[in-house]
Amino acid sequence: MSEETSFENEVIESFKKVLGEKFVDGYVKGKRQVFIKVVEDAYKEALKYALEKWSAYHLTTITGIDTGEKIELLYHLLEPKSSLTITIVTEISRSDPKIDTVSDIFPSALVYEREVFDLLGVIFNGHPNLTHLVLPDDWPEGVYPLRKDWKPEQMK
Amino acid sequence: MNVIVEVKLLTEEKRMFKIPVGPQHPALKEFENFTFTVDGELIIDVNFRIGYTHRGIEKLAESKTYIQNLYLCERVCGICSAAHQGCYAQTAEALAGVTAPPRGVYIRTLIWELERIHSHLLWLGVAAHEIGFDTFFMLVWRDREVVMDILEMISGNRVNYAMNTVGGVRRDISDELKYKILKGLDILEERTKYYKEVCMKEQTILARAANVGILTREQALKLNAVGPTARASGVNVDIRKDVPYGAYDEVPFNVIVYDTCDVLARILVRVDETLESIRMSRWILEHLPQGEIRTNFPRRVAENEVLSRVEAPRGELFYYIKSNGTDKPERLKIRTPTLANLLPVCEMLKGCYIADIPIVLAGIDPCFACMDRALFIDENSGKRWVWDTKQLRKYSIKWYKEHGEEVVRERWKQ
Amino acid sequence: MALCKLVKWARMKSPWIIHYNSGGCNACDIEVVAALTPRFDVERFGILLKGSPRHADILVVTGPVTRQTKKRLIRIYNQMPDPKFVIAVGTCTMSGGVFRGAYNVVAGVDEVIPVDVFVPGCPPKPEAIIHGVVKLLEKLQKS
Repeated sequence: MSEETSFENEVIESFKKVLGEKFVDGYVKGKRQVFIKVVEDAYKEALKYALEKWSAYHLTTITGIDTGEKIELLYHLLEPKSSLTITIVTEISRSDPKIDTVSDIFPSALVYEREVFDLLGVIFNGHPNLTHLVLPDDWPEGVYPLRKDWKPEQMK
Repeated sequence: MNVIVEVKLLTEEKRMFKIPVGPQHPALKEFENFTFTVDGELIIDVNFRIGYTHRGIEKLAESKTYIQNLYLCERVCGICSAAHQGCYAQTAEALAGVTAPPRGVYIRTLIWELERIHSHLLWLGVAAHEIGFDTFFMLVWRDREVVMDILEMISGNRVNYAMNTVGGVRRDISDELKYKILKGLDILEERTKYYKEVCMKEQTILARAANVGILTREQALKLNAVGPTARASGVNVDIRKDVPYGAYDEVPFNVIVYDTCDVLARILVRVDETLESIRMSRWILEHLPQGEIRTNFPRRVAENEVLSRVEAPRGELFYYIKSNGTDKPERLKIRTPTLANLLPVCEMLKGCYIADIPIVLAGIDPCFACMDRALFIDENSGKRWVWDTKQLRKYSIKWYKEHGEEVVRERWKQ
Repeated sequence: MALCKLVKWARMKSPWIIHYNSGGCNACDIEVVAALTPRFDVERFGILLKGSPRHADILVVTGPVTRQTKKRLIRIYNQMPDPKFVIAVGTCTMSGGVFRGAYNVVAGVDEVIPVDVFVPGCPPKPEAIIHGVVKLLEKLQKS
């Protein structure tokens, strides 16, 4: 049991060392499930580090959450051989949500970033095809269904 | 092998291709799921836009309780409903710090494996239908009724079994039922072994599936392909082995990997997985622990966030739930395996013939009403036309009847 | 008059069906397709699944109607020759089912096109779907 926790702690410590002040928090949310919270300008560095040091090459998806004050982005990475999941968490502005694309490191991000753009309105700078993925063409501009202040009744 | 190089060897001259426009007028303002840029018969580029079945489930889940969401998540996809519901239940349990009792976990795992059998057999029939092999389709679906009966005996419904709850499962399996299931599994095993032989020897299937729709191992890893699609390209990743959940750390099984990277490999991976699932189901039934099948789950869940994965029949299924102290989740995020395989399928299709589209697309076992409509743009002539699934299937069967022999001969030379 | 009766007889004996998924989870669709397979075998009743709306008598709709599929559903309905009939299969087509209240869903296919027969269930078994078709044929016979 303590052996398990020490592996997760080892992962968190390695991020802390590399990111220094840009590291905000690190916590364990289950067996081999590590969450690393970083400041906005360090998320790409954290992702690269997860890929290079921990071989977390598999980007499962990108989750966007509207916390009311900010938009939180979670990048879920998996390293299958050691069952390790690293989730890099960062927050961006809600009124002007812009962040660089990570599809240069993880090509599969092209799809997931499009989904977050579609439903939450986050602009991913450098994304080659930021168009509707799931919402219809006649969906009103600037309306993002997953935002907390939007209710389906507003559509009528 | 670089697919683009193969293309240059096969085409000698660029042909102008005129295809009669289908009943739907291409100028109508309706979005298509896939847009193919072609050069004569060959596909140069693929773009997609899903959303046909976008219902707004993630948003709806925020206004339903944890128990209500069990039934919502089940219906994200009717074919892998138990994978969705089980993954949701598993994630919610981890969120609330609840541990389901062993017997409940075993039954949940059994349902997952039985569903894998039903899903793969369904897919096998559909793939046969795509290449015009309707006899095989009918045969497989007739035998699939055996597993549908088993699921109905256990849960009361053929589809959408609602066996899971947050805290365990809802129905138990009696000894008499166990005996009936084992008998059914024997029949399925015998039939599936026969299907495997058909897939490996039948010319109709080999001509359409061998060396078609190549996705190299490097591409599969780079684009993060999941499930049988990745395992058919030599990627040894199976969530059941790599991130064990449910009873999978106790049930013995093999991960099926093929390395020919084509549609035939995807067929064989699924057929072999069906055989593995039958064996696993048998093992689970024979080793069912005694005890309770469910435990209590709190009405309100304290603030927390957790993620969980399941190996659905189509690949890695991902759930993330964030709770906020109320009886409704703050955020529910679902990533279905088909979404992860969309970029890989686009890569596979580049360099294929238009006539290969139905089987290559079916090869990833898409879980959306996939190619309702497809738009074709011929790069040279500028011609655009729209086909629906049935038109494309008819065209591909006819095309292979006329050109099949020479194409297959070229393809198998390499 | 006699021609009318002949056409009616022909239609009743061999209704041609087109199946359309308006954004459902596929559960009803696999049960509709299962109705074609050897155990249930609707073809022995003369029921044939056709690809084109221009040749179909009956439209079988599954799934809650999503915004993207609404226009196409109306167009398919309009392309069918008269007299035409609609069978709504599954709870979603009747009321939206579990998806009622979701932002991309219209609650009930009868808000988009007129429906003759509703087959409830989530999903309804193939026997229930066949029963729905038979009920429609009986309705036809009475008229």
